[in-house]
Amino acid sequence: VRKLLLYLLPALVIAASFVVAGCGKGGGDSKSIKIGLAGVLTGGDGQIGASMLNGSQIAIDEWNAKGGVLGKKIESVSLDDEGNPQKAVSVAQSLIDAGVVAVIGHFNSGCTIPASRLYNDAKILEISPGSTNPQYTEQGFPNAFRICGRDDQQGAVIADFLHDTKKFDKIAILDDKTTYGEGLATVVKNAFEAKGGKVVVFQGVGKDDLDFRANIAVVQGSGAQALVWGGMYKGGGPLCVQMRQAGLNIPFVSDDGCQDQAFVNTVGGTAPDVYVSFGKDYTSQPAAQAFVQKYKDTFHRDVGSYSVYGYDAAQVILTAMDKAQSTDADKVAAVLKSQPFDTIQGQIEFDAKGDLKVADYVIWTIKDGKLQELSPSP
Amino acid sequence: VTTLVDILINGISRGAMYALVALGYTMVYGVLGMINFAHGEIFMIGMFACVYAIGFFSVLWGNQVVVNLVLGILVAMIFSAAYGYANERIAYRRLRKAHVLAPLTSAIGISTFLQYFIFLTVSRDAVNFPRFYSDFLTGHHLSLGPVQVTYLQITILGLTLVIMSGLFYLINRTRLGIALRATAQDQLMASLVGIPVNKIIAFTFILGSALAAIAGVMFSMYNNVLVFDSGYRVGLKAFTAAILGGIGNVPGAVLGAMIIGLTEALTTLQFGSEWDDVTTFAVLMLVLLLRPRGLLGERVADKV
Repeated sequence: VRKLLLYLLPALVIAASFVVAGCGKGGGDSKSIKIGLAGVLTGGDGQIGASMLNGSQIAIDEWNAKGGVLGKKIESVSLDDEGNPQKAVSVAQSLIDAGVVAVIGHFNSGCTIPASRLYNDAKILEISPGSTNPQYTEQGFPNAFRICGRDDQQGAVIADFLHDTKKFDKIAILDDKTTYGEGLATVVKNAFEAKGGKVVVFQGVGKDDLDFRANIAVVQGSGAQALVWGGMYKGGGPLCVQMRQAGLNIPFVSDDGCQDQAFVNTVGGTAPDVYVSFGKDYTSQPAAQAFVQKYKDTFHRDVGSYSVYGYDAAQVILTAMDKAQSTDADKVAAVLKSQPFDTIQGQIEFDAKGDLKVADYVIWTIKDGKLQELSPSP
Repeated sequence: VTTLVDILINGISRGAMYALVALGYTMVYGVLGMINFAHGEIFMIGMFACVYAIGFFSVLWGNQVVVNLVLGILVAMIFSAAYGYANERIAYRRLRKAHVLAPLTSAIGISTFLQYFIFLTVSRDAVNFPRFYSDFLTGHHLSLGPVQVTYLQITILGLTLVIMSGLFYLINRTRLGIALRATAQDQLMASLVGIPVNKIIAFTFILGSALAAIAGVMFSMYNNVLVFDSGYRVGLKAFTAAILGGIGNVPGAVLGAMIIGLTEALTTLQFGSEWDDVTTFAVLMLVLLLRPRGLLGERVADKV
C-alpha cells in the first residue's frame, strides 16, 4: 500500500497542477485579442508554411502599429503542426485553450480539415491561406474560410493544360497519399479522363518515401507523355530530380504544394519541362511591392509563394472584425460573406461556403532560377 | 521486360543501402544481444555531417569534387562513429547486466533524442545534397542493352559487397574476430581469458556506426534530399532486413536487405508503391513463421 501511495501522490500533484493551469487559462486576458497562427513550420515542407505565417505576422504588426483592432493590441500565438494531422488536432486544442478568437491556418489540407472540427465546435473563426482540398469548406462549417482556390479548380487547370495545351492523351499520376495530394491527384485523373485522355499510371507513394526509382521505372514502361505529382515539394523535388537522372524526360507537372523556392533549389534553376499550377503571380505586382520589401526587412529572406495569401488572410479577418465591431465568430463571418475586400490579390469576395468566388489558377514554370508564370498575364 | 529489369536494378540498389545499415544492427545484436534502435539516427547524422563537411571544405579550398567528397565521407564516418561510441558509453554500458528491456528502452530514448537534437540544432527543413558532387555519379550510366545503370548504383552495390566480405573475413579469419565471437558467446569467460570486452564492444559500435555513415552518404546522394527524420524509416526497414536474414548473421543481413529492396520494387510494379509496407512485412511474417530464426539465423533467438 505504501508503494501504491508513492506512485499515486506524484500523479495527484501533476493532475492538480493541470487543473490549476487550466483555470488560469480559462480566465483570459481582456487587454489583447489573440489570433492563432498554425501551420507546418518544420520538416521537409517547413519553408512553405513558415513563409505563409510570416506574411500573416506582418499584417498583424501593421495593425498593431495603427493601434490594434477594436482598441486592443493583437497578440499572435504561433504553433507548428509539423504537417501532421494528429499534431494539428492537438495544436488546435492548444490554441482554443489559449483563448484565440480566430485562427489563420493550417497549411496542409490533411491538417486543416481535422482541426476545423475543433474550431467549429469552439465557435472560432478559421481562415486557411493555403488548404486547397475541397472537403474543407464542404463540411458546412459556417466559420471556415479559405483565401486560395480549391483543388477541383486547380485540377481542372492542370488537366486543361495537359490535354488542350500540350495535346497529350496518356499521362501518369503519382501522389503522396495525403488528403491534399491524393485529393488533387484524383481530381486531375477524373478531369483528364472526362476530356477523353487516358491515365496509364495512378499510384500513391509512402508519405516519407524519398526513393522513387521503382515508380519511375513503371512510368517509363507505361508510355506516359507527362508525369503529374499530386503532393508537396518534399517528395516532388526528389521525384523530379530522379526521373531526369533515370533518363525520363517527359514534362513534370505538379501543384501549389511544389510552389516554393525550396522546390527549385532541389530540382535546379535550369530544370526544363517543369510545370506547377498556382494562383497568379501577385508578388511581382506593383500592389505587393511594399509588402515584399517589408517582408525582406523583417525576415531577411525573400517572400515565399504563400506569403501574400497569409498576409491577405490576416488583413481580411482584422478588417472584418473592425467592421463587425466584434470578435464573435458568427458576426465576423457574416461580414466576411457580405462584402468584397481589397487585398494584394485584388478585390476578393467569399461565397456562402467560405470559398473565394473567383479562383485564378495558372501554370508556372522554372525560368531564370525561379518559378514564373508560363504566359504572364498583362 | 525492360521495365522489369529496371525495377530489379532499383530494388537491388535500394536493398544494398538497407544492407549497409542492417549490418550495424546485426553486429551489435551479434555481440551484445541487444537491438540498437538509435542506429537509424546514427545513419542520419552521417548524412548531415557529410553535407556540412562538403560545404565547409568547398569554402576552404574550392570545389574539388573527388577530394571533398572523400573527405566528406571520412568526416561523416568519424562523426557517426563518435556518436555511436558515445551512445554505447553513456546509454548502454551501465545497462549491460540489467533486464533486457532496459537497454532496449534506452535505445529508443536515444533515437528520439538524437532525432530532435538534430532537428533543433542543425536543420528543421530538408537539406539538399549538393548536386555538384553527386552529378558525376548519378548522371553517368553504364548501358546494359536497353537498361541503364548509374555509376552510383554500381558504387552502392560494390561497396556493400566489399564491406560484407570484409566483415565476414574480419569476424571469421582474424584475431579480432575471434575476440568478437568470444565476447558474443560469453562476456565473463572472454574477459577471464584476457579479452578486453569493453573495448571489443566499443569497437563493434564504432565499426557499425562508420558503416551507417557510408550508407547515409550513399542514401542522400541517391535520394538528393536529407531530413532529420530520414533515419527512422530506413532504420526500421534495415532492422526488418536484419531480422529477416537472421539477426546476428552478416551475410544474412545483406540477403534480408536485398529481399526487402526487391519486394518493395516488385510491389511498386505489381500493386503500386502504397502497398510497400504491407508486402514487406507480410514477407517478414511468412519467413519468420517458417524459419523463426530468420533465413540464415543460427542461434536460438532467446535474448530479446
